Amino acid sequence: MNSTTAPNNRFASPEIGLTTAPATAMLKLTDIEKVYQTKTIETVALNRVNLTINKGEFVSIMGPSGCGKSTLLSIMGLLDEPSSGQVEIAGRPVTAYSDKELAHLRNQKIGFVFQSYHLINDLSVLDNVELPLLYRSSVSGKERRQRAHAALDKVGLSARTNHFPSQLSGGQRQRVAIARALAGNPELILADEPTGNLDSVMGEEIMDLLMGLNRHDGVTIVMVTHDEQQALKTERVIRFFDGSQVS
Amino acid sequence: MIRHLFTLIWNRKRSNFLLMAEILLSFFVLFVVSVLLVNNYYNYRQPMGFRSDNVWEFNINAGQDTVARRAKLRLLVQELQATPGVVAITGTSSNTPFSFSTMNTDEYRYQGKPVGGYTDRYDADDDMVKVLGLNVVDGRWFDRRDDAAGRRFPVIINQAFAERMFGNEAAVGKVLTNEKKDEEWHVVGVVEAYRSGSDFAANEPAIFHRKVLQDTSRFVQQQVPELLVRVQPGSGAVLEQQLVRKIKSVTKGWSANVNTLEENRRDKMKFLVTPLAALGLVGLFLIINVALGLFGVLWYNISQRKAEIGLRRALGATGNGISGQFLGEMLVVTTLGVLGGLVLAVQFPLLGVFGVASQIYVQAMVLATVLIFVLTAICALQPSRIAAGIQPAVSLREE
Ligand SMILES: Nc1ncnc2c1ncn2[C@@H]1O[C@H](COP(=O)(O)OP(=O)(O)OP(=O)(O)O)[C@@H](O)[C@H]1O
Ligand SMILES: [Mg+2]
Repeated sequence: MNSTTAPNNRFASPEIGLTTAPATAMLKLTDIEKVYQTKTIETVALNRVNLTINKGEFVSIMGPSGCGKSTLLSIMGLLDEPSSGQVEIAGRPVTAYSDKELAHLRNQKIGFVFQSYHLINDLSVLDNVELPLLYRSSVSGKERRQRAHAALDKVGLSARTNHFPSQLSGGQRQRVAIARALAGNPELILADEPTGNLDSVMGEEIMDLLMGLNRHDGVTIVMVTHDEQQALKTERVIRFFDGSQVS
Repeated sequence: MIRHLFTLIWNRKRSNFLLMAEILLSFFVLFVVSVLLVNNYYNYRQPMGFRSDNVWEFNINAGQDTVARRAKLRLLVQELQATPGVVAITGTSSNTPFSFSTMNTDEYRYQGKPVGGYTDRYDADDDMVKVLGLNVVDGRWFDRRDDAAGRRFPVIINQAFAERMFGNEAAVGKVLTNEKKDEEWHVVGVVEAYRSGSDFAANEPAIFHRKVLQDTSRFVQQQVPELLVRVQPGSGAVLEQQLVRKIKSVTKGWSANVNTLEENRRDKMKFLVTPLAALGLVGLFLIINVALGLFGVLWYNISQRKAEIGLRRALGATGNGISGQFLGEMLVVTTLGVLGGLVLAVQFPLLGVFGVASQIYVQAMVLATVLIFVLTAICALQPSRIAAGIQPAVSLREE
C-alpha cells in the first residue's frame, strides 16, 4: 500500500461551499398527508407537508416524539406511500415508477438508516452490510466484500465483521445499520436518529462522517435528530410538531 | 446470490434441518410407493406368455363316486372334444391361470447348481399349448414322442428359467436333476413366458411337467385335473349348458363349476388391486400430510420473516427477487433432503433386499425425486408469492 496518497480528504476545500449552481430538487413533497387507520382510532401522522430537498443539501428534521418524523422519512425513502399528496424524485412523481423501478431507486440511489436498525439476525455483520450490494448484479462478490469492509471501517467496526447482531451492543448495531446505508454509495442518505444510541464521542464521529460524505461526495442527507448541537451543524433544520411543519 | 442462499441456510441450520428431515422422510415414503408402482407397472408390461380369451375352466367335482374315475374322465374328455364349438381341451393341476393356487419348488439342479429362488411348477398335457396359445421359442411342446421317455421325464421351461439356469447356453437337451440325483428331467422345449398368477405377476422361472390322462404311472388314481377348454370365439351360455349337461350324463352324477379365464383374471386383479389401492391411499394420505406440513412450515417461515422481507424490499429487492430467494432456499433444502433420502434408498439395490431388479429401484428413485420436487414446488409457490407481495413499509412495523 502506498501511504502517501490520502484517499479521503477530511477537510472541505472552501470552493465547494461557494459554488452557486442553481439548486436542483432531489425530492419534492407536495401536500403530503399520512393517516394511519386502526380499528379504534385514526392518527394523522403527517398533515399537508410541503418540502423540497435539494441535491447536495444536508437537512435535519427535529420534533417531539410521535410528531411524524419517521413517517416522513419512510415516505421520502419510498418505503411507504402517503395517503394523499405527491412525492417527486428526480423530477418525476413516484406514482409513475413501476414496482421494479422503485426497487431500483431504493437500491441504487437511497441509503436508509432505520431508527431501530433492522439488521437480519441470521446474517453476520459483514453479510448484513453487503445486503444492498447483493441486489446489484453489476457488483461482484469480491467487490461486495471489499466495499462492506470499507463501510464497516468507516464506522469503526472492522473488528466485528463476523459477529452476529445479537452479539453486538445497541450502539454497535446502529453503526452496522449506518455502514449498510453507506456500502451502496447512495446519492441520498435518509438517517433516522443515526446517533440516538451512541455516546457523544461516537456521535460526533458519525456526524463528521456524514458531513464528510455531504461535502466531499455531494451526498444529499436528511437526518432525524433530537440533538440541537448536531442539527445546528446542518444547512437547514426543519421542525415538526404534531404532523405539521412549523419551520 | 447462491452463496448468500447457502449462508442463510447454514445460519438457519436448526430450522432448516427439520425441514430437510421432513423432506428426507417424505422422499423415502415416495420412493417405497414408487418401487411398488414401478415394479407392478414393469411386470404388467411383460408378456403374459399365454392367451386367456375364450378359455373356460371346468372345475369338476366327482363327489363320493370313486368308481373308475380315470376311465370316466377319459371318456368325458373325448365327448367334450367332439362337441361343436370346442377347439381344444387340456387337463392341468389346480394352479390354473389367475387361480389362488400355486405350486413351487426349489428342487431343480443343473450340474449341482440350483436356479436360485423358487420355480413355479405346472402339470400340463400335450394340448395345453393349443388351449393357452403358449409361445414355444425353442425346442417343442410335449407330444406323443414323450410317451417313450422312460425314467428321464420331459419338462418344458420358460425363458426366465433358461436364462437363470443356463445363461447363454441352449436350454433344449439339458438334463436337470434333483438334489439327491435320483430324479432326472429332460428339457425338451422353452416357452417365452408364463405369468399365470396375474397381470402383475413377476416373470419368474416356471417349469411344466408332462401329465397326460393316459399316463397312469404319473397320475394319482383318484386325482381329477382341472379342465381348460378353448372354445370358438363368440361361444356363450348355450355351449356352456351343453357341456355341463354332457359332464353330468357321461359321468352320471359329477358336477362342474364353470368360469371363464377372463372372469378369473378380473377377480384376481380386483383381489390384488384392492390392497395396492389401499396402500396407495395411505401413501397419498401421507403425502398430503407431508405437503400440508411443508406448506405450514413455509407459511410460518414467511410470516416469521416478514420484517426481513420488508427490509430486503427496502434495500432494493424486487418482488420477484424475493420469491426467487424463497424458491431458491426451498430448492437447496429439498435437494439436500433428497440427497439424504437417496443415500438411504440406494441401500436397497446395494443390499438386494426385496429381490427387485436394480433398474426398478433406479426408476423409482427418479420418480420419487421428480415427485418430491414437484410437491415442494407446489407447496412453496403460494407462500413465496405472498412473500413477493410484502411491501417495504412492513419493515418499519415488524421487529
Ligand atoms: N403503523 C402505524 N399504525 C398506526 N399508527 C402509526 C403507525 N406508525 C406510526 N403511527 C403513529 O403516527 C405517529 C407518528 O409516528 P412516527 O413514528 O412517525 O413518530 P416519530 O416522530 O418518528 O417519533 P419518535 O421520535 O418517537 O421516533 C405516531 O403518533 C404513531 O403512533
Ligand atoms: Mg421515529
